[in-house]
Amino acid sequence: MRKVLLLGLMLFLGSAIAFAQSRVITGIVTSTEDGMGVPGATVLVKGTTIGTATDIDGKYSITVPAGNNVLVFSFVGLLSREVTIGSRTTIDVALESDVTALGEVIVTGYGTQPKREVTGAVSSVKGEAIQNLPLQSFDRALQGRAAGVQVRSSNGLPGGAVNIRIRGVGSINAGNEPLFIVDGVQLNNQSNAAFTQSNPLAFLNPNDIESMEILKDAASAAIYGSQAANGVVIITTKKGKQGKAKFEFNAFAGETQPMKYLDVLGGSEWFEMRRDAYINSGNTLPEANTLSNMGRLPSNWQQLSREELNQIGLDLPTYDWQREVMGSGRLQNYELSVSGGDDKTTFFLSGSYNYQESSFKPVDFERGTVRIALSHQANSKLNIETNMNLSTFQQNVPFAVSGSFLGSPAFSSSAILAHNPIYNEDGTFNTSIGGVLGQNVVLVNEYNSGLQRTNTAVGNMIGTYKILPNLSFRSLFGLDYRLLQGDSYRDPRTPDGAGVRGRSSVQQDWRTRFITTQTLNWNKSYNNVHNLSAILGFEFVSETREGISGAGIGFPTFQFRTIQSAATPESITGFWTGYRRMGFFGSVNYDYKKKYLATVTARYDGSSRFGENNRYGLFPSIRLGWSIVEEDFLKESNSVSELKLRASYGLTGNDQIGNFDARGLYGGGGNYSGSAGILPTSLANLNLGWETNTTLNLGLDYGFFGNRVTGSLDVFDRRTKDLLLNQPILWTNGFSDIANNVGELQNKGIEFEVTTVNIDKGGFRWNTSFNFSKIKNQVVSLYDDLEFLPANPGIAVGQPVGRDGTGANFVQEYAGVNPATGRPMWYDINRNITYLPLAADRIYYGSNLATIFGGLNNTFSFKGFELTAFFVYEYGAVFTDGQYSFLRENGTRLTLNALREVNDRSWTTPGQITDIPRNLTTNAGNETRGASRNTGSASLLKGDFIRLSQLTVGYSFQPSLVSKIGLSRARVYLQGLNLWTYADYPGYDPEFTGAGTGQIPLTKNYTFGIQIGF
Amino acid sequence: MKIFNKAVLSLALVGSFLMGACDSALQVDPRQSIDANGALNTPDAMDAALNSVYARLRSVRNYGRDLLALSDALADVGQTTSNSGRLIGENNNQPNAHFQAGFWQNSYFGINEANLIIDGLSGVEGASAAQLARWEGEAKFLRALYYFDLVKVYSYIPTAIYQPGVVDQGGIPLVTEGVITSDAAFNRQPARATIDEVYAQIYTDLEDAKRLLTSRGVQYASSASASALLSRVALYKGDWNKAVEEATTALASNVGVVLSGSAYVNGWRAPVNPESMFEVRFALAEESIGVNESLQSSYTALLNLTNKNSQGGWGDFIPNATVRGFFGLAPLQLGSPASDNNNWDVTRNSDIRAQLYTTGNTVRGAGRQIENTKFMSKSGFAYADNVPVIRKSEMHLNRAEANYQLKNESAALTELNAFKALRGLTPVTLTGQALLDEILLERFKEFAFEGHRWFDLKRYGKPVIKTTPAVNLQFDDFKILPPIPQREVDGNPNLNQNRGY
Repeated sequence: MRKVLLLGLMLFLGSAIAFAQSRVITGIVTSTEDGMGVPGATVLVKGTTIGTATDIDGKYSITVPAGNNVLVFSFVGLLSREVTIGSRTTIDVALESDVTALGEVIVTGYGTQPKREVTGAVSSVKGEAIQNLPLQSFDRALQGRAAGVQVRSSNGLPGGAVNIRIRGVGSINAGNEPLFIVDGVQLNNQSNAAFTQSNPLAFLNPNDIESMEILKDAASAAIYGSQAANGVVIITTKKGKQGKAKFEFNAFAGETQPMKYLDVLGGSEWFEMRRDAYINSGNTLPEANTLSNMGRLPSNWQQLSREELNQIGLDLPTYDWQREVMGSGRLQNYELSVSGGDDKTTFFLSGSYNYQESSFKPVDFERGTVRIALSHQANSKLNIETNMNLSTFQQNVPFAVSGSFLGSPAFSSSAILAHNPIYNEDGTFNTSIGGVLGQNVVLVNEYNSGLQRTNTAVGNMIGTYKILPNLSFRSLFGLDYRLLQGDSYRDPRTPDGAGVRGRSSVQQDWRTRFITTQTLNWNKSYNNVHNLSAILGFEFVSETREGISGAGIGFPTFQFRTIQSAATPESITGFWTGYRRMGFFGSVNYDYKKKYLATVTARYDGSSRFGENNRYGLFPSIRLGWSIVEEDFLKESNSVSELKLRASYGLTGNDQIGNFDARGLYGGGGNYSGSAGILPTSLANLNLGWETNTTLNLGLDYGFFGNRVTGSLDVFDRRTKDLLLNQPILWTNGFSDIANNVGELQNKGIEFEVTTVNIDKGGFRWNTSFNFSKIKNQVVSLYDDLEFLPANPGIAVGQPVGRDGTGANFVQEYAGVNPATGRPMWYDINRNITYLPLAADRIYYGSNLATIFGGLNNTFSFKGFELTAFFVYEYGAVFTDGQYSFLRENGTRLTLNALREVNDRSWTTPGQITDIPRNLTTNAGNETRGASRNTGSASLLKGDFIRLSQLTVGYSFQPSLVSKIGLSRARVYLQGLNLWTYADYPGYDPEFTGAGTGQIPLTKNYTFGIQIGF
Repeated sequence: MKIFNKAVLSLALVGSFLMGACDSALQVDPRQSIDANGALNTPDAMDAALNSVYARLRSVRNYGRDLLALSDALADVGQTTSNSGRLIGENNNQPNAHFQAGFWQNSYFGINEANLIIDGLSGVEGASAAQLARWEGEAKFLRALYYFDLVKVYSYIPTAIYQPGVVDQGGIPLVTEGVITSDAAFNRQPARATIDEVYAQIYTDLEDAKRLLTSRGVQYASSASASALLSRVALYKGDWNKAVEEATTALASNVGVVLSGSAYVNGWRAPVNPESMFEVRFALAEESIGVNESLQSSYTALLNLTNKNSQGGWGDFIPNATVRGFFGLAPLQLGSPASDNNNWDVTRNSDIRAQLYTTGNTVRGAGRQIENTKFMSKSGFAYADNVPVIRKSEMHLNRAEANYQLKNESAALTELNAFKALRGLTPVTLTGQALLDEILLERFKEFAFEGHRWFDLKRYGKPVIKTTPAVNLQFDDFKILPPIPQREVDGNPNLNQNRGY
């Protein structure tokens, strides 16, 4: 974006050279960083409007009128310099890079602003910060980068879902996703993949991103009206740069590795554990029963003694199923970009290929992208621009994204009994598996197949017409088109496919989103002290989605894997849905000497999703700023280089509900005896309207010691009123719920960002940036004075609602095991010990939403070497991990494997204080007829962690060296992701969303990369 | 500035024009649903709406599994294998391991749809009198069936009401008006009707259904099936005369047949059991409950009876020693090798029903077990069987029992012995309590794995004597009744929870 600005500036300045006087000064502007010429830098005669821009090689020539003796050299991202001309005619300057970012320009709603003048809570993440990270979607790369932005990977699926929450959770039933905008095109980031998770944002090669701005407070986002309640993420992609064509080749390759294997019991250990459980349960044939559970009871067992049977158990082998299905995977990325242009036309072209395997084969991700950005100045008034992103990615799908499926390697590999061989002696698959997980998941994984494809085109056409020098009209037409295709085959040789002789399922899903934005931009300065600018606009969005899916069963042989070979169509279905949104918006910016700043915005939005009586909403906002550093008493200060107080208040809306949620409908369904049925599917709510968000934000931007220390501090109070709540309906009235505007949520918090240049001496530089966020989320009120939601008591006044609005943990408190008997105990509501906790004994126990989170980045550079260490942290989330919960049962309910650390803690002797009950078998009488050992808080885990998210060591070769072989720049680096995690966590990894059962965990990545410019 | 003004003006003009067009621009109508207002105005829509009420019976929580397998697990019919871990809690009578919230939900949704059909009868354009009678009769039959299933599960049965005197353990909420508007949905908070009121409503609906209906296939309600259901309802209510009367009417009808000998066994192998007077139809592959929770999968690990080695379902719930004793079932090796499941069967006594049990396979963890094979994918695709709700044989047992209660012991004994003969058993000579016990025992044998036993114990207030695990559930135990879904209790101040929850 700043290059576009620059272009405009150059043109503007270029036309201003109309004076003829005095002397001509020439020279070259270079950058101290690489010694290369800086094209497009501004050279201005101080105190005048006379200026010019440097050419492709950084050279300039300027005519300086008599009486002027100072030139000002500036370029975005570099520190400006003033040079006294004296008697010279040639002046070469080297500009230092601006390590502290306050000089930068920030993209805001429908415009840009110098960061110094921003009065809302906006975080900016530059493309460089996330460059070359082996992450498939940019949302994942935002983790820990900006205060108030909480990012969690849902799992370790490459290209999988990412949970992003800006300033907490503002909705219970409507979405909590921010609005993503790429080059002015508002995206729909809802995933609809049937067979895996396909993050729609993975369409974009993260290396094509120039910058990401996150509008956090309602006042900044309010200009996006009804879609902005959860914040707005504006992505600006790289654009062409005037100059001769510059090529950049970028490649990295490496490996993914599991972060952890769970330490489960071996064959004989499980035998002993289960045998003892039978003994504890008073069983008279513990060895025989255990061997029977394990599928290893010899047919002549009645002739064998208990000792002999015991020996059989103790001799059982151990096979490592986890290491059989989990392991390292490959990853690689190649891309080539070229940018350049002349004074009329600039272009940026890039192509990329990305491949990554997960730790569970064959689950992977493979993407190709093509990007074009063109800009052409048709005449002095008209600029036309286009940005096109074409992308296709395909993923080999897992057995299931999550869940306790027997055939799922991610679930079964740690839970299967370890005495089961994976292969027979002849190398064929062992299909006789003892224990409840009676499937050979290695076989299942080998025989099943499935592929999910996502084809995306996101593009725009923009025309900007300068009606007057200070008034322009901008017209944008954009398209977000996505085709999802998928197929999945359950092989008839696998247990799930055997019953139906193979099943092929297919999916096709089209989403087309059209957007147009028409804006007028105006600005004027009065007396050089009153600066006024305004935006007026109109926007229309229309989205339709359509799909068909089906499944067929009965395949002749396993070689026939596509649906046309199916004997019987099992299901066929389809859908159509759509919505439209229209809005008018305006914004007025005023500042007095850049000292007192004010912005007022308003948007009037209408959406087809809402009830007939309540389709339109008004979303106003106000932002105020006082740039204290501009006051006289600070202007000359050496220590304070930036100080600005900000206050903002605004209103935004949330419309992330179903397209027809306000309607009372009868839909198809309930077919019977071969003929079609219909049934009532929803209740009408003619008054259904927006969920409104108001945020009061107070902020302070600071910079000290020549901006060697910069940052910001924000406090906010975000209130969501008229929640789009699925208000429960009594089932006796024939419905489950109705969308209604009731209840209120609050997120209040504090955000702190600081960036420092710790050392900058002798070419050695050490930069640190750190951010910290603390958010308290709670329900303020529900409806009818209810203290909790009848259908979900986890949603309760004064309690957090959790990451996805599913509610706080509301459980009975675990009291450990009775030291005398080893029986699990809980507290009842009166704090007495009980063996049989009731629903009434439940208490609130936090939620899965972290209350504190952030990131810490350290960069060291010295003579071309650089080292980056980036940490992320989270604190305060409490949740269950389904995979761990299964293993925590210690094989007492189902014949599943157990964790060594859990089994070691099992109660064995009177007086022992522990949290794991005595081992018993299922049918052990009254003790097992009480509550399950995982009841209540017994299975809750703390999700706190600190992670070394990124460690990079790189070396950039001296430009003078590489220019000899025709290169302008060359860099090599080694990079590791998730190399180290500090967490007291017994499961695979605390970073996931969902139930945690059978999910593919995140991986460690190691890469080696090279970047070449020529 | 002038141009700016013009631009603003024109934008405003365009804006107001567009705003005027807004309502149409923002009008998007669904393409796969229709407005609820007037949705049932045509005969075709009425037929389709009625289909959905039938279809809900297929739910796992209703006749798809729970009304058969789960209720038998609560009773003394079988034992669990831990193959998939399902039905263990129910078989152990653990607290909350009982009929689930989804049963309440699905049943009341079905009731609401039936109510909407009954409410909408007057609004159907171009309907014939015969159509109106059929819709009303079928909707009322279905409403009666849902209410009967709910009240027998959530409440005590009139013949044996336990009175702890602590909380109201009445019937269930009784609603007979459909809800289609949000006002009604928000405001109606029905209390539990008394048990008598619920039974009275069931009687009324079934009498109407009897009067209005003929027969159009056993997958639909008929006059005869209404009589048959009424006979059972009367038996539960202790209305013995009515039970006899309706059983006689049902037996006289041409809906369903009472089979004997091998025809009886073959009836279980046919897609539609000829004994059915009303059955829930599974017609399409997509309606299959699947490998985890279908009746077949719950009862047997076999995929089919032709090759016992094929991996089928879970076989989670299998006959216990009591049931095996009824039919003289023990594993029997027919040939070698022993590892081939096809070389195994069971020993059997003369009871023809013993043919409905055999050995399973060794695919699942518990190994080869004796299993019930009443449900074996007879609909033509895996894990789906039409589920008989009322078999005609039941009418003999209802009438014998009711006659016994009416002191017509000789009629009862005659009917019992005639029935025993149909099953290959010798007659007995019994009187008094021993005769009643024998009638109930015959009912146990006849309907094992069909979900009757729990309620037969419950309506006589008998304890549940379990063999595996060897523990009992007394009639005064709160776990005889399931919890009413907590969300319903929390959201409805008029609704009292069952004791103990």
